[in-house]
Amino acid sequence: MSGDDDMQPVEEELLEEPAGETRAEDMPAADEAPMENPVEESPSGETSPGEHPPFANPDLDLLDAIAEIDPALFERKAEEPPFGRQVLTTALHLAAAAESRTNLWTQWNGFTTPDILTDIEDEYRALRHAAALSDISPLVKYRISGRDAAVYLNRLVADNVLALSVDEAMPVAFCEDHGLVVGDGLLFRLDENEYRLATEETHLAWLQDSAFGFQVRVEDLGTTLAALSVQGPLSASVLAASGLRDIETLRPYAARWFDIAGMPVYASRTGMSGDLGYELWIDPEDAPMIWVRLLDKGAPFGLAVTGFALRELARVEAGIPRAGRDYLGAFSAVDPADASTPFELGLASIVDLEAGHFTGRDALQRARARPPRHFIVSLAVDFPEPLDFRAIQCNGAVEGLATSTGFSRELGVNLAIARLKAPAVASGAVLTVDVERREGFSLRRLIVPARVLTEPALTMPSRHVVPAPLLSIG
Amino acid sequence: MLLADRSFDAIVIGGGHNGLVAAAYFAKAGRRVILLEASEVLGGALATGEISPDYRISTAAHLVEAMPRRIEKDLKLARHGLRFAQRQMTTIALARDKRHLTMSSRRQDLVALRQWSAQDAAAYVAFTARMKAYAGLLRPMLGAAPPVSGETSDAASVFRKLVWNARRLGKASFEDLLRVLPESIGDLADENFEMPLLKAALAFEAVRGTAEGPFSPGTSFNFIYREAMRHETAGISLPQGGLGGFVEALARAAESLGVIVRTSAPVKRITVENGVATGVETEAGELLLAPAILSNVDPSDTMLRLVGPAHLDARLASRLGRTGRRGATAKLNLALDGLPTIPGLAPSEYGARLLAVPSLQELDAAFASFKRDELPFEPPMEMTIPSVVDRTLAPLGHHVMSILIQYVPSDVKGGWAGQRDRFLDRVLETLSTYAPDIRDRIIAGEMLLPSDIEAKFGLPGGDWHHGELRADQFAMFRPAPALARYRTPLKGLYLCGAGSHPGGGISGMPGRLAAELALSEGRRA
Repeated sequence: MSGDDDMQPVEEELLEEPAGETRAEDMPAADEAPMENPVEESPSGETSPGEHPPFANPDLDLLDAIAEIDPALFERKAEEPPFGRQVLTTALHLAAAAESRTNLWTQWNGFTTPDILTDIEDEYRALRHAAALSDISPLVKYRISGRDAAVYLNRLVADNVLALSVDEAMPVAFCEDHGLVVGDGLLFRLDENEYRLATEETHLAWLQDSAFGFQVRVEDLGTTLAALSVQGPLSASVLAASGLRDIETLRPYAARWFDIAGMPVYASRTGMSGDLGYELWIDPEDAPMIWVRLLDKGAPFGLAVTGFALRELARVEAGIPRAGRDYLGAFSAVDPADASTPFELGLASIVDLEAGHFTGRDALQRARARPPRHFIVSLAVDFPEPLDFRAIQCNGAVEGLATSTGFSRELGVNLAIARLKAPAVASGAVLTVDVERREGFSLRRLIVPARVLTEPALTMPSRHVVPAPLLSIG
Repeated sequence: MLLADRSFDAIVIGGGHNGLVAAAYFAKAGRRVILLEASEVLGGALATGEISPDYRISTAAHLVEAMPRRIEKDLKLARHGLRFAQRQMTTIALARDKRHLTMSSRRQDLVALRQWSAQDAAAYVAFTARMKAYAGLLRPMLGAAPPVSGETSDAASVFRKLVWNARRLGKASFEDLLRVLPESIGDLADENFEMPLLKAALAFEAVRGTAEGPFSPGTSFNFIYREAMRHETAGISLPQGGLGGFVEALARAAESLGVIVRTSAPVKRITVENGVATGVETEAGELLLAPAILSNVDPSDTMLRLVGPAHLDARLASRLGRTGRRGATAKLNLALDGLPTIPGLAPSEYGARLLAVPSLQELDAAFASFKRDELPFEPPMEMTIPSVVDRTLAPLGHHVMSILIQYVPSDVKGGWAGQRDRFLDRVLETLSTYAPDIRDRIIAGEMLLPSDIEAKFGLPGGDWHHGELRADQFAMFRPAPALARYRTPLKGLYLCGAGSHPGGGISGMPGRLAAELALSEGRRA
């Protein structure tokens, strides 16, 4: 009975208050407005965000770089149709946008990602001599948990997963039944029965297909987990200054929970730069705050915000092929000849044919006896200026393709990740690239020799040092 | 037990006819073989049971159609008690108007047919000859292991050879074959004949025991396939004492060759070490070792339950897990206190194989009900009264009747619990249109639904053939490309059941060919 008594005055309030407000502001025709939809108006008299154009918020300071973008612009609306959104943004989109001096954007796994934020030369200098911060949330992340998680993963990937201990990561490659690589990534063990797989491309269908017969749960963490990368010789110092205590004691491929001002951070000593570096796996809600804090505490060390172009350049220097660019996954390749075995990708070190069954093992055992059809290699083209090249020639015939290229300012050499037909590698034949160089309005054709690198062009010794070198700023 | 007692040259899992044949061939080569059967009796779906005391009948399968003479001779089955009550059984399509149709190209039958429809009599001769010729193309493939594994591109060479042989039939026939193979049997029969009964009987031969309808594409291939399977045999035969008698002879032959047979010994799993199948563990906890393990169990069941997905590549495992088995056949066994009267049937014709399929439309309607998980109104049936030719099955003057009912859904809408009797009534009602006194003659009976067949004989989904006999599951694609040629990805594990080439029907061929392959690989190793 008392409930009924309470209800009535509230209803009256809802009907009356907004009616009064609209009358005061709007035209006489607005008399009918409250009748249509009285309950949606907020009772306290505050204006709802829908009523005003997004930039009309009086609290926004238009001169403040961070505040000038209204978060409401990027909020998902409930009525959005599935797949209606073509462009996805990460939790750090606004933070990165605020840092952009170039407005150069690119797409990474369907996410809008800054290509270059300030200047590629500055970003590169920071990476190789100080520290570089970037948003790597577009990476595809899966949580794999359940009673059979370990056996499931051991059957999925080509390496021995059972040897991975908690708070450790390992690079993994996974193949389909014919031994062709589906994808590669980084596998973390978070707990006894909980793993996380970070990959370049989406693999949910394959992961679920592989789960048949196992007690395991595979979840896509695409939008529920954000990730940051801090790479460079001073990365440990930046993180230590930001509040990640004892970060320097972390061994390569190890990971641990930290907290920054009460925000949990799972930090791993991993990365694509070939140098000392860390990746932070964080809650998307915390991400902007952590980003700001890192920039704040990292500034004295020369920490710079960097984009996707630098990540690609660093990767080429470190000689790491990327799925979808340098090689095609087995299910992306229409012609099976376009797909590769781990041996052809140079991933033989993460294939363990002796440690139990995994998908494609029988096929790989047979493949090991056969000569590879092609190789994915690092290539150096000695020329002191950036060159543009694609085709790799061997004795005058096109025998390969440079799939990722970049000019290493550190080494003063053009580098590429290239796919070469087996004979072009095996014979030790002379490789060349054809280059068209524009000088003013004249064009020069050059034939520049190229050489296959047997190890990554750039590896920094500090990469393996434990504890990681720290620079203290007084 | 001593270690020596636990290691064998070969272990055969499952004592169905293919398992028995495989074990016998192994033992014949002088090897030490043990056969493990989960239930108390051998034979699987080949069994003779008692409906009620003194009334014995083949419980599930009731005719031997595809067993080549060669296996009978190799295993000296006649010496071990195999007798046939009847060979070269004729097939008669029953008509509602009592003008029954004998399906044969014998002169007197053709004369009868010609009086009815001269066009069909001529077409029947031509049609049979054509189908025989097409079946002849498949025949070389059925008598041997598939030439290559479906995984390799060499499968193309097999088809090239088939096409090459087919061209020798002449350009017109070759073009006709290319058109016929993907066609449905219903359309094929429709364009060749005018009598509804003849069309329906031919279509029924192609879809019997499958979950496909008369107008399902590709069913013409089924027809040719079955025609080819029958070619090596002495026609449709009825063993003395039912199919249990057939299995007994097979078991005696195997045991006399030295096979150690153990019943009530269900296997829990196949032990695997580093990609090699090393032995089996029984439910009783016993470990048996052998370099060759032959599984007569359904291929999916063998690989997923006995081996386990952890030892298989992911795509193979999920593919096997997805291919569900759809049994479509139920069995009704009746004990009768006298021969039922089928008006229009001559006394000598009661021992024939009788089909109750009046027309293509009704066959298709039954299939449509099956597809919707509903009970067919007039279920198509295949019947025999084996006691007419085999006096050992029933007391003098009394009879047993064996009825295969087609298009029975394994999960009927609303559940079987309340509809069993209703369905039985429909079956008997249909029977009564041909044999009006059938209800009065019944003393006892039993009905096995697809789910009963699954539970009783360990046939997943109640599918008698361990997978449809279709073009996409033929030769090097049976049961899956990675499992063709009896081999599995695990060294030492072979599939010897009907799920392997050349497939279902009581042929014993998968058993023989798997054993021969395992033997030859054992010699090489």
